Amino acid sequence: MKRPIHSLLGFGLVGALLVVVLLGLVWLPYDPLAIDLDHTLASPSLAHWLGTDEFGRDVASRAMLGARISMLIAIQTVVISIVLGTALGLVVGFLRGWTERVIMTFSDALLAFPGILLALALVAVMGSSRHSIVIALAIAYLPATVRVVRGSVISIREREYVEASRVAGDSALYTMWRIVLPNALPPILVLATSLFGWVILSESALSFLGVGVPPPLPTWGNMLSSARPYMYAASWLSIAPGLCIVATLLGINMLGDALRDRLDPRDN
Amino acid sequence: MISYVIRRLLLAVPTLIIVALMVFFLVRLIPGDPAQIMLGEGADPSAVAALHAELGLDKPVYVQFATWLRHVVSGDLGTSITTGEPVSTLLITRAETTGVVVLISVGLATLIAIAAGTVAAWRRGGKLDLAVMSGASLILAVPSFWLGLLLLLVFGVWLHWLPVVGYIPFSEDPWSAMLFLILPIATLTISESGVLIRMMRSSAIDVLRLDYVTHARAKGLAERTVLSRHVFPNAFAPTLTLVGLTLGRLFGGIAVIETVFTLPGLGRLMVTGVLSRDYPVVQGCLLFTAVIYVVVNLVVDLLYPLFDPRVTVE
Amino acid sequence: MRKTIAGLILIAAGVGLGLALVHPKAPPTGSMLRARLNADIASSDPGMKRDANTDAVLLHVVEGLVALREDGSVGPMLASGWTVSPDGRTYRFALRRGIRFHNGAPLSSADVKWSLDRYLAPDSHWRCKSDLSAKGIAAVTVINTPDPDTVDIVLDRPAPLFLATLARLDCGGTGITHRASVGPDGTWLYPIGTGPFRWGEWRHNQYVDLVKYDGYRPLPGGTDGNAGGKHALVERVRFSVIPDGSAASAALLRGSLDVLDALAPNELGTIAGAPGIMQDSAMSADFYGILLQTGAPVLRDVRLRRALSLSLDVAALTRVVTHGTGVPDSSPIPAANAFYGAAERVLVKRDLATARALVKASGYRGEPIELMTSHSPPEMYDAAILVQAMARDAGINIQIVSLDWATQFARYSSGDYQATMFGFSARMDASQMFGVLIGDRATDPRKVWNSPQAIDLLHQSVVTGDRAQRQQIFDQLDAHFRSEVPAIVLYNTRRVTALRTPVTGYRSWSAQTQRLWNVGLGNSR
Repeated sequence: MKRPIHSLLGFGLVGALLVVVLLGLVWLPYDPLAIDLDHTLASPSLAHWLGTDEFGRDVASRAMLGARISMLIAIQTVVISIVLGTALGLVVGFLRGWTERVIMTFSDALLAFPGILLALALVAVMGSSRHSIVIALAIAYLPATVRVVRGSVISIREREYVEASRVAGDSALYTMWRIVLPNALPPILVLATSLFGWVILSESALSFLGVGVPPPLPTWGNMLSSARPYMYAASWLSIAPGLCIVATLLGINMLGDALRDRLDPRDN
Repeated sequence: MISYVIRRLLLAVPTLIIVALMVFFLVRLIPGDPAQIMLGEGADPSAVAALHAELGLDKPVYVQFATWLRHVVSGDLGTSITTGEPVSTLLITRAETTGVVVLISVGLATLIAIAAGTVAAWRRGGKLDLAVMSGASLILAVPSFWLGLLLLLVFGVWLHWLPVVGYIPFSEDPWSAMLFLILPIATLTISESGVLIRMMRSSAIDVLRLDYVTHARAKGLAERTVLSRHVFPNAFAPTLTLVGLTLGRLFGGIAVIETVFTLPGLGRLMVTGVLSRDYPVVQGCLLFTAVIYVVVNLVVDLLYPLFDPRVTVE
Repeated sequence: MRKTIAGLILIAAGVGLGLALVHPKAPPTGSMLRARLNADIASSDPGMKRDANTDAVLLHVVEGLVALREDGSVGPMLASGWTVSPDGRTYRFALRRGIRFHNGAPLSSADVKWSLDRYLAPDSHWRCKSDLSAKGIAAVTVINTPDPDTVDIVLDRPAPLFLATLARLDCGGTGITHRASVGPDGTWLYPIGTGPFRWGEWRHNQYVDLVKYDGYRPLPGGTDGNAGGKHALVERVRFSVIPDGSAASAALLRGSLDVLDALAPNELGTIAGAPGIMQDSAMSADFYGILLQTGAPVLRDVRLRRALSLSLDVAALTRVVTHGTGVPDSSPIPAANAFYGAAERVLVKRDLATARALVKASGYRGEPIELMTSHSPPEMYDAAILVQAMARDAGINIQIVSLDWATQFARYSSGDYQATMFGFSARMDASQMFGVLIGDRATDPRKVWNSPQAIDLLHQSVVTGDRAQRQQIFDQLDAHFRSEVPAIVLYNTRRVTALRTPVTGYRSWSAQTQRLWNVGLGNSR
């Protein structure tokens, strides 16, 4: 089934997000790091469309810069997680046997391991930086990627063309890389879009628990968590970044659905 | 069947040992000394050193691990460094809170998913489907703690319908306890139903395409009978797997929700354990959630054949 | 199957409806005063395994020979008075008559000796054991009990601060407990003291309940620090553990709390002006600021340290970070302290021109300076952000390293940092406030100021009891502190306590603990 409204909305939201991020590279209403201690917690006005935060910084400018940083974190995490996960999943699904058993035991152990502990540990050891957040989240989502890739590789390796490649005397590496991987890509792409959304959510949850990206750089997550004490007194501070996250995730998920519909042969 | 269960449990042992090892070394890798934290700013260094030794933290890590493992095998998870309570007691009381919230929420979310997903699949492409799917997409996009905060703001602070803070153990007075749990349960139910609705819908769509549904309809059975007797039982299996995974994940991971609603649950126990470097508590929590994870997945695999006749337990 | 589903849905609907109909049960208050702790207490053993919350709760249950008064001086508590021998080494305490422990046992000099011996035992973790040892202010050599109502404590040298140390809150007020507080195997059970409240129930991470002690014999007078007349005006006091600040203020607004002590400054906006809520506050004898490693590569240059200090608009920072509750301060002596004089009162003003000139003179070229901070308390995190922004104006490049408290504390304790935001809780004596900074870094890496001159002046300040002389010493220390800048003091906090209107008699004080004696619930007396 096609849900044209959904995919249109998805494209619209993601497009708007890209425009905001690109615009932010060349122009921001204010310096997002500049404090103005005489105008703190100002409610939305013509001068500050989304108001100012507890240090008088412009919320709209911070949300725009935050979009870029949240996106960067999400993209880096997804790339690391997908690349590593695909490599491991391919090897495991294709070779099976002992390699599979060992790697999957570790993967299961990691799956049973709360991401928050991992993040706390990494942040405590490496200091809170964007890199430690990215690494922690990438590790946390690695087992899920390995599982998905492994699943599709196992079903693909039984197909005739894989058998044909093997019979033709291709090396295992060649078969994995040129035959199995391209056929396993669709579910990986769909997973990547979901992962993108999960990472944005997790980053904000980590910020909420106090181990997010360090100041003064804004992310939607740390904006949301630092707005928490002003939930009742200055609710716009929590509502703006919250809506940004909701809109982005909605857009990405709808694009993911459209992608899934396109790639799923049963639906065509 | 029984031998299958035993084999599965034995297979989980290496996983659990790896989890235990990882946790044990990871928490000790984090800078910070429980003795130091407990005695506070300005404490005498010799007092810190004495407490450090008293807690057995001056021994080599592998010796500590061996001691801990020996105790765990004999059923002793140790005592909390900060409160001196047995870790097993802490786990049981905290698991009650988390368990009640998670079970009720996932139960309600599953019911909602079955109803909404099946109906959406049945009316595929129609307005009802669009509404259900839009709702599910929206839910997936909302951070759960943000939703919790909004609910708290509306029902607790603005409308004054529900208490904002506090907790009564469920075992003491279930009805009063529920009062404090409504908002967390509502938050979790909503945020977990999104994925389940989508899963239920997509597998119901697959089933609706199958021949026997067409047959059943051709026989002139009412749509409701077709849906409940033919579609639901055959479409529920994948959703059940997801429910199992969700349960396993949530038992160890509702720290954020527990923080928003100040519930004394497992997630908070672990987070405060990590923050105060209460090693025995963190180790106990992790082991506990890992065991739950393994057991829940086993139960799901055992239930699977009930819903999907094509699959049998080995 | 259809019936099953219908049934399930019905049950779910029924549960939902049932829940909607249940009304919140009125809590069984009777006359229960409900207060809040931001973290569970560390133990029920005074001064042993402790933190500020533990001190505050336990000082309702136990009392020492002497106690701290509102003005920071020491007053009588279990002792009706004392005399000091001419050589300043022997303190003779006369116990008050007719005092009974919560278990009914009368207080005697043997109980005092038993408690003190326990505090000073080799295996004790008593916070103040090292203060009363050879390397502290004076070692206790002998404790004699000439008769049931008299205790003699002999020291190895005269110590003007001996009584003040006994009264310290972090020493648990050197509370005297009955020996039945300890089990036959020597483990601590619960405190059996002499205070206006007795130990009730402790549910870990949930609450601590204290119960009115009917046999309490109050001193004359009203609330005066931890001394003075104490009356339990409610049957029961419940300290609920509510770590989250927003949740605590929401609870107060909803009426599930009566006393919300240590209101986080960023919660003030929520509480201010709410109907039925009052506030009480007092300046705290603490300070918050930035510690600088004078041995660190870039900060080794005193000109750069001065530049950093001059780049800060301390008044504006304090106003924003503490939401108008704190008092800007440039001296380690808090504004609430009696030794806060004309010299200490002078605030370092922002002077960007001088700061830039100093930066230039020091040859600093924008090397990043790491400033460590955490969310404990949240104001320190906010302050770090402002320090970073203000220092940027003077050309100083600060990078914030945000850690969890345990990590920050570990690195502070081992001196493993360039600069760190840090706060020192209330200490009632000015020597103690300077003492947190001054010392030999080689033996105690927590100290940031190891100038021999400062160490000598600090020593002089504890061996004399003469007020004028001490003031002079502190003024000198303060001047040195300002020229060497081993740390930058930013502000003292104001402890704000929010109360529901029926609460009467609550008083905040500079020692930062909540006191729930002499506090009533409107008509309950």
